[in-house]
Amino acid sequence: MVASKSNDSSLPPPQPRSPPQFPDLYGKRRELARVQMLQREIGFLDEELKSLESIPPASRSCKEVVDFVTGNVDPLIPTIKKTRRSRRFWKWLCGVCCFDVSWICCCGCSCDLSMPRCCDCLTCNSCSNPCQNCGIPACQCFPCFSSKCFKKWKCSLKCRSSCCCMPKHSCCMPKHSCCPTCSCTRCTCYPKCPNLNICSCCHKSCCFPCYYCM
Amino acid sequence: MSVAELKERHLAAAETVNSLKDRLKQKRLLLLDTDVAGYARSQGQTRVSFGPTDLVCCRTLQGHTGKVLFESQVYSLDWTPERNRIVSASQDGRLIVWNALTSQKTHAIKLPCAWVMTCAFSPSGQSVACGGLDSMCSIFNLNSQTDKDGNLPVSRMLSGHKGYVSSCQYVPDEDTHLITASGDQTCVLWDITTGLRTVSINGSNSRMFISGSCDSTVRLWDTRVASRASRTFHGHEGDVNSVKFFPDGYRFGTGSDDGTCRLFDIRTGHQLQEYNQQHVDNEAPHVTSIAFSTSGRLLFAGYTNGDCYVWDTLLAEKIRYAAQFQPVCPVNRLYWTWENFKILTVVGSAVWDCLLMVVPYVQEVGTQTSRSGLLEGIEESTEVGDRFLWKMSVVISPSKFLDFVCPSYGL
Repeated sequence: MVASKSNDSSLPPPQPRSPPQFPDLYGKRRELARVQMLQREIGFLDEELKSLESIPPASRSCKEVVDFVTGNVDPLIPTIKKTRRSRRFWKWLCGVCCFDVSWICCCGCSCDLSMPRCCDCLTCNSCSNPCQNCGIPACQCFPCFSSKCFKKWKCSLKCRSSCCCMPKHSCCMPKHSCCPTCSCTRCTCYPKCPNLNICSCCHKSCCFPCYYCM
Repeated sequence: MSVAELKERHLAAAETVNSLKDRLKQKRLLLLDTDVAGYARSQGQTRVSFGPTDLVCCRTLQGHTGKVLFESQVYSLDWTPERNRIVSASQDGRLIVWNALTSQKTHAIKLPCAWVMTCAFSPSGQSVACGGLDSMCSIFNLNSQTDKDGNLPVSRMLSGHKGYVSSCQYVPDEDTHLITASGDQTCVLWDITTGLRTVSINGSNSRMFISGSCDSTVRLWDTRVASRASRTFHGHEGDVNSVKFFPDGYRFGTGSDDGTCRLFDIRTGHQLQEYNQQHVDNEAPHVTSIAFSTSGRLLFAGYTNGDCYVWDTLLAEKIRYAAQFQPVCPVNRLYWTWENFKILTVVGSAVWDCLLMVVPYVQEVGTQTSRSGLLEGIEESTEVGDRFLWKMSVVISPSKFLDFVCPSYGL
């Protein structure tokens, strides 16, 4: 048997080949999934862009928020402003044009109106004019609710009542001549008594035992 | 199509997405003709003002403990719809149920996994749910019998998430349905009775919920449609840690790692307002949680540095510093003083799992000339009434402490 030799020198010499590569299916599928997700997102973004053409501007929603909030009471937010009674009174007074308020209020109110100066003089124990100590007409200070004169004035109104049921206040207690040295505010000195007793609570001599000290 | 071609398509699609997002952003900016503060000011709205006694802390509920101080933080809490009970979760491995009116603890539930991140009360108040790093949502029935160790058994475990459960909330008025959000980037609506996920509920009610994500977006979902979000809200520049509906139901607020809170409109997608603490450096503390008052006028925001501020939502101004909580870190040295010629007493002792901390017991000894001193080894100091509770990082014998505190008494 004679072997025939190939005389074809144009063909390249045989060379060992690399093993065939397996197709990267997993990588391809993963990449395909990513592309699909992105395309889906592109669709959503396109939709959103189109929808913006018919959406109202933010001011409308802002108005809705403000309207909603202001239309609802919030339990955490104080709603009643604590205005002082004297301030409310003076604000009312401001509207009464005939009332001349040219004094500065001593009550410490922060309103802009001028108010009569109150007489808080301790020796002012009646509402007659004028207070002997400070010279201010005591009766003008009655509108100021916090002044002592107002309290006394109110008290005197009650105490002047002839009704025996009206409570008598200590500032209205008459001082009897039989106990000139008694300065105990609780001492009633009534009824008149012939004896002189020492009131232990006030250390003053009194014509009658102090009711509160008995 | 080859992988190379697919990769090219991927790149092109990604570029298209970015370009569309930019166009959307620009178009939205054109529609933002004002924000809530601008509109409110134009209407003459004035700032809310609080007096010193108008917003005060009325109760402090203390009870969570932990091996190391940093892990005793309360991660989550939820109220019952009647607003009379609270459930809180801490990584000391317990859920505590509190009577909010009396401050008493009604349940202390030991959890199978201590790494809890969220908890919720059921609408009926009969059950509580929690979830965390175990990727599961556990349900406890508060009325069930405790086991022989005195622990409340788990009545249902909802498993299926492939990542941590960061948030859970019951569907309003439905004790049997719960929504969870997870680190596996999904939200799941559960049917608790079957333990199965479901996305189809009563079709006549459109149930919406919102989720905030670490991708800086917030998404609005319709529980009838699982495949896509109804709307995506952009704006934040960091993880969105907290989302809450505005009381009218058409807006919601968010709190983020970018240090801002924002108000968004659900129907239009607009960002209506930003609530931004201005910081000189870029180290703005992150917002960890938010809540609205019932009218929506107040926005409470908690921050990572322990601050809690009250914002006026209409004028976007901080109106009150609500509270400060100490960042949890050990204090080793404490400078203390005697006040009012009385030695501050210390009450009781605390024994912790890993670290024995003995707080020495000192009796009130009466008058003493005022002085001050330095006591080392104090881990944390809290005021309990008119006394101090010191948690020591080293064991100090009572006598040694007494020697230091009242040397002249020879106690």
